[in-house]
Amino acid sequence: MPELPARRGPRLAPRFPPWLFLLLPALSFMLLMYGYPFVRSFVQSFLDAAGRFTLANYAKTWDLYLKDLGFTFAVTAFSTLLTAVLAILLAMYLRFRDGPLARLMGGLYRLPIFIPFVVVAQMMNTFLAPHGLFNLALARVGLVNIEKPLQLFNFWGLSFGFIWKMVPFSVLIIHGGFQMIDNSYIEAARSAGARTGTVITRILMPMSRSSILVALVLVYSQVVGTFTLPYMLIGGKIPTTITVDIAHRVNYFRDFGVANTLGVFSYLLVLVTAIYYLRSSVRRVTEEGAGPR
Amino acid sequence: MSLKRILILSAELVLLVLVFLLIVGPMMSLLLWSVAIRWYWPATLPQEVGLDYWRQALGLEKSLAIGAVSIVPAFLLSLSIAVTVVAITMLLAIPAGYALAKYRIPFGPAILFLFLMPNAFPQQPIFVNLLGLFTRLRLAGTVPGVMLTHILVGLVFGVWITSATFRAIPSHLEEAARSVGASRARAFFRITLPLAAPGLLSSAVFVFITSLDEFTGTFFIGLPFVNTLPMTLYSSSGYNMQFASVIAIILLVPSILFMTLIQRMLRAEYVGGMG
Repeated sequence: MPELPARRGPRLAPRFPPWLFLLLPALSFMLLMYGYPFVRSFVQSFLDAAGRFTLANYAKTWDLYLKDLGFTFAVTAFSTLLTAVLAILLAMYLRFRDGPLARLMGGLYRLPIFIPFVVVAQMMNTFLAPHGLFNLALARVGLVNIEKPLQLFNFWGLSFGFIWKMVPFSVLIIHGGFQMIDNSYIEAARSAGARTGTVITRILMPMSRSSILVALVLVYSQVVGTFTLPYMLIGGKIPTTITVDIAHRVNYFRDFGVANTLGVFSYLLVLVTAIYYLRSSVRRVTEEGAGPR
Repeated sequence: MSLKRILILSAELVLLVLVFLLIVGPMMSLLLWSVAIRWYWPATLPQEVGLDYWRQALGLEKSLAIGAVSIVPAFLLSLSIAVTVVAITMLLAIPAGYALAKYRIPFGPAILFLFLMPNAFPQQPIFVNLLGLFTRLRLAGTVPGVMLTHILVGLVFGVWITSATFRAIPSHLEEAARSVGASRARAFFRITLPLAAPGLLSSAVFVFITSLDEFTGTFFIGLPFVNTLPMTLYSSSGYNMQFASVIAIILLVPSILFMTLIQRMLRAEYVGGMG
């Protein structure tokens, strides 16, 4: 076997290792533009306008925004759970059904993944309005009295928007997990007399537990942090999400203390999912050499 | 065919049509609004359609209606921001992705941690604090300030996709080149880089699209002076439904187009933070 000349060659010992040289620009950018602001949001939440330590921001947030915190959590939990249920059902359909209809669905369901939230917001603005297509269509088939259209610029419309955007993304992950399960498992279970229901609850779901969990975690943390959709759909109405409150605190009052306190609360809302996501992703990358999710 | 089977099939068909309508309905609504010239309640469909709002948006026709401005300047601004952002982001991401893929890095998990955090935590508080920082640096409300936030949003995608691409290229190819005398740099540029080109390209496309669609960072850092396409959509959505819908469709087309082009590269892990 030939030896590698480059490794033997007379070479100056590099002052720092090559990986550091390659990594340094991106790393320092991230530390400056992400790490520093991240830490600063905690620090600022404990400071008043003059820069002295205070707990007033937390007291004020508690007084003014407790309801919105609850609303944010409720919308997120509801959208995430419903997204999970719908995504699992759709993924199962795509896993078990074949034929032109299923293939059409398999292509079509992906569309919302690529649509940015600002466009989704405008869509929902037109679609869910009292005079929008949704109400008009429901009135056409007699489900809604056209004189009393459904008011949807609230909890329900917001959840609808999130679910519309997030189900396809979750199907992509969960269906990927289902696809990894070899057909032979399913056939073996079937030949042993298992019905489709049993195959799903005993084989498909347990074996793709991790992809279902990852989908849940990603949907949850994204919904908590999304600003565009609630801002354009609900805006300053009460109750609204804390992302909208943060924007109001900054734009109308230049109140960075309370804005950052709300930011800290939004971090706390995703704490469990973030830890799960970071741990499992770091493990995936370092042990299996795969990309993160 | 038994009755039971017919019942199951028709139930499937009804459910599929419902799912189909729920997916396509909002898109149809956008399309209808973009061409609706007269749509008085309670008509189910617009009474008069035409491309007037498209012509106004594209600057072919002047209009005095509130919220109707030509979007051509905003489009060009968004485009030039996106192109610059892609160039800088890839310059940062390619070396970093290579290092993460090919070297054993001390404190590796901690560094990975930093690059994963933007996916795990809400990004809005970051922009709030960047606003404070940028105001002091006189970067708030400027195009370079907006570009920096777009690079931040894009860099995470950039680094992960490039590092996955480099990881998929077997190291022994580069080692073989070096064993016949190529320098490390030459081996990289002649062997690894060409093999990685498709992956790097799709990563650049991702960064491009995220920059084009970026809203939250631009909202905090750029408004009211930097009016990218999403900002124009936002500011007209309150006044002029048709105009906002036209912009929404214009924003939607490149996203769907590019993403179908790189369909093969589409992996769940990359689209996590899309939009």
